Amino acid sequence: MTTLIVALAVGAILFGVGLYGALSQTNLVMIMMGVEVILGGALVNLVAFWRFLHPEAYSGQMFVLIVMTVMALDMAVGFGVATGRFRARGSIEMEEARDLKG
Amino acid sequence: MIVAALIILGPLAAAVLILALRRLAPALALLGAGVSLIAALFTLSRVANGAAYSATLPGLPGLPLRLVAEPLTAVFAALVAVVGFFVMVYAVGYMRGEGGLVRFFAGMSFFVAAMQALVLAGDWVLLLAAWELIGFSSYLLIGFWFERPGIAPAASRAFLYTRSADLGLYAAIFVLISQTGTSEISRTLQAGGAAAVAAGLFLLLAAMGKSAQTPLHGWLLDAMAGPTPVSALLHSATLVAAGAILLIRAFPLLPPAVLVVVGVVGGLTTLVTGLTALAQRDLKRLLAASTASQYGLMLLAIGAGVPVAALFHLLAHAAMKSSLFLGAGVFQHASGDSTELADLEGMGRARRLTFLGFVIAGLALAGVPPLSGFWSKDAVLAATFVSPNAWLLAPLALAGTLLTGLYVGRALRLLWRGEGESEPVAGERWMGAGLAVLVVLAATLGLAMPPVAGLLGAELSEETLLVAAVGLVAALIGLALGWALPTGRLLGPVYGLAGRGFRVGGGFDGLVARPALGFARALDVFDRGIHAGVLAVGGFGLALARVADTMSDGIHAGVLAVGSASLAVARASRVIDDRGIDGLIDALVRGTRDLGARARELQSGLVHRELLLAAAGVALVFALLIAGSVGS
Repeated sequence: MTTLIVALAVGAILFGVGLYGALSQTNLVMIMMGVEVILGGALVNLVAFWRFLHPEAYSGQMFVLIVMTVMALDMAVGFGVATGRFRARGSIEMEEARDLKG
Repeated sequence: MIVAALIILGPLAAAVLILALRRLAPALALLGAGVSLIAALFTLSRVANGAAYSATLPGLPGLPLRLVAEPLTAVFAALVAVVGFFVMVYAVGYMRGEGGLVRFFAGMSFFVAAMQALVLAGDWVLLLAAWELIGFSSYLLIGFWFERPGIAPAASRAFLYTRSADLGLYAAIFVLISQTGTSEISRTLQAGGAAAVAAGLFLLLAAMGKSAQTPLHGWLLDAMAGPTPVSALLHSATLVAAGAILLIRAFPLLPPAVLVVVGVVGGLTTLVTGLTALAQRDLKRLLAASTASQYGLMLLAIGAGVPVAALFHLLAHAAMKSSLFLGAGVFQHASGDSTELADLEGMGRARRLTFLGFVIAGLALAGVPPLSGFWSKDAVLAATFVSPNAWLLAPLALAGTLLTGLYVGRALRLLWRGEGESEPVAGERWMGAGLAVLVVLAATLGLAMPPVAGLLGAELSEETLLVAAVGLVAALIGLALGWALPTGRLLGPVYGLAGRGFRVGGGFDGLVARPALGFARALDVFDRGIHAGVLAVGGFGLALARVADTMSDGIHAGVLAVGSASLAVARASRVIDDRGIDGLIDALVRGTRDLGARARELQSGLVHRELLLAAAGVALVFALLIAGSVGS
């Protein structure tokens, strides 16, 4: 059980670091990196629960794979927005992106 | 009977067609008159062979309209048709280049149709209607050139004179129908006694008006104002003839007492109008006065009790007088549209062919053998000589014959002497054709007298050589004197009087025009009375309207008060509405808007701040979950 606690602790640390990164940065790319780290913490938690509580079920593994796919799509959309934003304004600073508000 | 009906329907249809189509007027009028002529001759030949037609048409209740084709009416119808047709032929030439042809030929056709209806009428109602119609259509035709000065009064005068005399016909018909209970002419003629005397005198009055007998002869001279074909038709076979025709048809009714009056009226007329004719300075007026004089001779014959002599003279006179008028019309056109004898001097030399026709017709009128006038006048003279009142009637008839010779001789002299200049005449062939046929008739109609007498089954008075010789001598003396002597010397002191048509004592207008005008004035007063009455009713209505107006004002004020009260209520409710409900809704709106404004502040558009809020929200949920699990 100690290894489960360790894994959960690593996941919590990753989540905290990602959250701090996402909240403290103003650059869009940096914010997305923070979000990736948060998701990485969540993945560690999912893998740990699957491995130490129900190793006979495949649904945990499937869930991890789906979350990874969603992360990839998330990045693709985010970088698409960043590229478009840079072409249009020459900057991806989120402090200057208030005009995106509807 | 259909053929007999065509006599009337032919010209009537022509008149209607001319008015409807408004073109080809002369051709249509000729066609209508031709149909009438053929139908009339056919009917006459059938009647001569013993046939008799009659037709009953629906008319007034109890008084059906009847058409009768018996020998007498068939002869009259043939006369009217012949004269009507050839005058129409002449008119085609005479009216060439005139305006208003549609009006003229429609009027002429209608005139002929009305006259045919009159002669063929078998009952008094239809006869009266036709009698009025010929008066009306002659009024239209005499006034044809109504835009020229003096024409319209002449037409009105003719109409008024004949109309006033028509009252006699109304009275006579009233007497006859109330006496016998039927309107059929042949049956009413059997009435006798006082009714016959009264009806006879009334009929005489009607005939005097239409046939221009003294003292009602004034209108005929003025009626010369119309176109010459109208005069020819008017004088020979239609309007003026209607009076004599009426008396000839009504002859069986007339008792001896009335016959004397008829004869005296006729004799007086033949004298008075014969003298008038002598003094005229206008050819057409001369002929007009002569017409009245000749009808006086016919009335003399009727008064002498031999209507068939009057009928002969009517037939012969129709041919002679229409020829004379048609000749006068040619002279009129040749002299630049004047009928003054002074302008026509020597015209006979310039137009010898027309003058030849004029001379033949004139000599016939004067009674020179072997022309038709000799035979008919001889019959009239013979009738007067054998009548019970020969001492009164025969001298009058002889004087009439003498006067006829005088004025015919005078007219021929004036037309022959002097140097006349003739202008070319348009449409001369048509005029010549119509004139030629009528002149031939005027010359030869004497041959037709024995067969007509046989047809009518009437006996002529025995002709004695003495009567014929006396008549001929009178005519020849008249002709010679008329040719040789100027009229002024002939007439002496009565010349001026005769020139004015013997209008003594302010004129015979006093007999007709003044009563008519007085009647009109009375009607005017009556009319004004009605007018005043209408005005009074109008004033009363106006007062009523004023009262109603006041009442209406009161109602108006009441309505206004009610309206302003309800307006006040409405205003109050609007205030409540504004301050209450609107205020409430406004407050609600304002609150919602404030809330929205506050909520909007959260939506900063800054990604990291919103991320922070989301994280804080998640943390809050997490804390609650943990607190919940700890609590349970």
